[in-house]
Amino acid sequence: MTERTDGIVCPSCAKLNLPGTLFCVQCGTYLPSGGPLRTEQFPDQHLQRARPRVMGDAQGEGRALGIEIEILTTHRKVLLSADSEILIGRLDAAHGVFPELDLTSDSGLEHGISRRHARMYAREDKWYIEDLDSTNGTYVNDERLTAYLPYAIHDGDTLTLGTLRLHVILRGETSQEADDLL
Amino acid sequence: MKATISPEEDYYGILGLPATTTAEEVKRVYRDLARQHHPDVAGGDAEAFRKIQEAYEVLRDPVLRQAYDRQRLARGLGREAPLECAVTLNASRLVTLDCPQMLYVLLDLRSRPTSAPQRSPLNLALVIDCSTSMQGSRMGNVKLAVQNLLEELQERDRLALIGFNDRAEVLVDSTFALRDRSRLRSAIANLTTGGGTEILPGLRAGLEQVRRFADPAAISHVMLLTDGRTYGDEEACLLEAQRAQAENIGISTLGIGDDWNDLFLDALARHGGGMCQYISSPAQLQELLRAQIHGLSQVALSRLAINVNLPPWVQLQTAFRAAPFMEVLDIQPGRLFPLGGLGEDPLTLLLELSVHQPDPGERRVVRLDFEGLAAGQPVTIRRDVTVSFVQQELQPEPVSGRLLNILSRLSIFRLQERAWQVLEQGDVKQATHLLESAATRLFEIGYRELGQVTMLEAERVQQGAEPTLRGRKQVRYGTRSLTRQ
Repeated sequence: MTERTDGIVCPSCAKLNLPGTLFCVQCGTYLPSGGPLRTEQFPDQHLQRARPRVMGDAQGEGRALGIEIEILTTHRKVLLSADSEILIGRLDAAHGVFPELDLTSDSGLEHGISRRHARMYAREDKWYIEDLDSTNGTYVNDERLTAYLPYAIHDGDTLTLGTLRLHVILRGETSQEADDLL
Repeated sequence: MKATISPEEDYYGILGLPATTTAEEVKRVYRDLARQHHPDVAGGDAEAFRKIQEAYEVLRDPVLRQAYDRQRLARGLGREAPLECAVTLNASRLVTLDCPQMLYVLLDLRSRPTSAPQRSPLNLALVIDCSTSMQGSRMGNVKLAVQNLLEELQERDRLALIGFNDRAEVLVDSTFALRDRSRLRSAIANLTTGGGTEILPGLRAGLEQVRRFADPAAISHVMLLTDGRTYGDEEACLLEAQRAQAENIGISTLGIGDDWNDLFLDALARHGGGMCQYISSPAQLQELLRAQIHGLSQVALSRLAINVNLPPWVQLQTAFRAAPFMEVLDIQPGRLFPLGGLGEDPLTLLLELSVHQPDPGERRVVRLDFEGLAAGQPVTIRRDVTVSFVQQELQPEPVSGRLLNILSRLSIFRLQERAWQVLEQGDVKQATHLLESAATRLFEIGYRELGQVTMLEAERVQQGAEPTLRGRKQVRYGTRSLTRQ
């Protein structure tokens, strides 16, 4: 997307829109980085908060904690890093939703996974999950979470997103395997 | 249950929000407060946190919230102005630029529920097309729907029945109101079909009936039901509608099947401050008629009008109604624009402003004046919308998800409306392109069926064929309803 001070050039039809335009007036394309004032992501991404400090503090007292998630229906295992928060959902390029943990290939839609379903992040050695007001909810060990409230998760917990069950494997220290993958 | 709700215990009070707040705002404030008061945080407070959570659980749920609003009202809270206007901007701060930039202003207008136990009496005329094309099951469905409609009406309501083809006939006049249901029933049962469709005489006869009993306390409205095209009298019909609106008589139109002139019936309803609806299947008729009557009976604020005042450095690019259905509104800054009646459904407007402000500071970008009549009393409210202009680039501000949602749907609505316009001017290539874009966007937001219909019309247009009457109506009336819940 080209930004100019006098406007935003639409990436799909090349129309010059006024700065601040959110949807191209000519072809309706969403212009997510529409100008100097735009948020970078789609709708509910007004969830800015302090990034987990874990990586930054790695030299000090903290350690980078990897988290491994096993999708129980497909036995797919995903190893995720703690250096930025992890969006869980279904990829939707058209709306700029690019989850770190994309459950599309695990029949996410059929299991009622929202595009922006939940997010996880590490803070001071602990992992948290927060439901993003998903349509079908997020459960930790069968307890439904209140949207937008972070809940701590632990090794061995079962997460249920919609009807998809995930298994949490926490690593106390960065394993060699994690280092290789991250 | 306590007899009163103290402000400290009021859910709105707990979240520090006005009772007109949007669901989006509730969510946002809840998140902020929950973080602040969470027992696990330093300075957290379990009791405050519990209250915040309780307030959120109720106010986030439209059903619970409505019930709570009623309780509040019954307990003496919430007696506020009968009209409320909530403003949502895409940004409350803008960077000063030496060129114009876009500002979106979303307005949610709501009438406060009145505690009056009785609704306003309705003064209606139903103008029914009895031309040959209505013969058979169409007329059968109309009869059934209108018979059922009688059940929705109360004794003090009035309903005149007019049948028309090339000429109009008053089958039941307004004199006896609903006291004489048997007369209405037999008139409905005896509706016969024949002849052509000329809307003007029917419309005139309907307006004439409604005028006889048009007092300010009643809701006066003409409903026109047709399946055909009228020729040569369109202009005269629009003038009648304009005149009616000046007299506070609304007009809405219902098009049955695929052969009626959508552009004309749209315009007629627009001039009459009402809505045009497309009835593609007979079963819809009853539901739509009932919904319409219900809507009219809920009108708490009539003759609502808006005046948009702008400083010289702000231009109004486009004004839309976003809900209950989408439409471009021809609002001229500095002039009163009529919006019709406001019932229990909120009215949502969107203003696209081009703002050219090179100097920093807190500035008023638009002043909104609303006026209307509630229970016969004039009501006015004023809303000033301000934005801070700053020199520095800022942390990106979150854009309201609801605003984005409405904008994405409006952009689809606009694409297809422009497509029909340019097609009228013979620009096949551009029309094809616009329809294809609209179809793509529809697929993106999950409206597969409507997207498919739009795609098929795009293909037809591309091959030089006329769009199908049905397809075009499905696309037009489907997209304008995208913001409806």
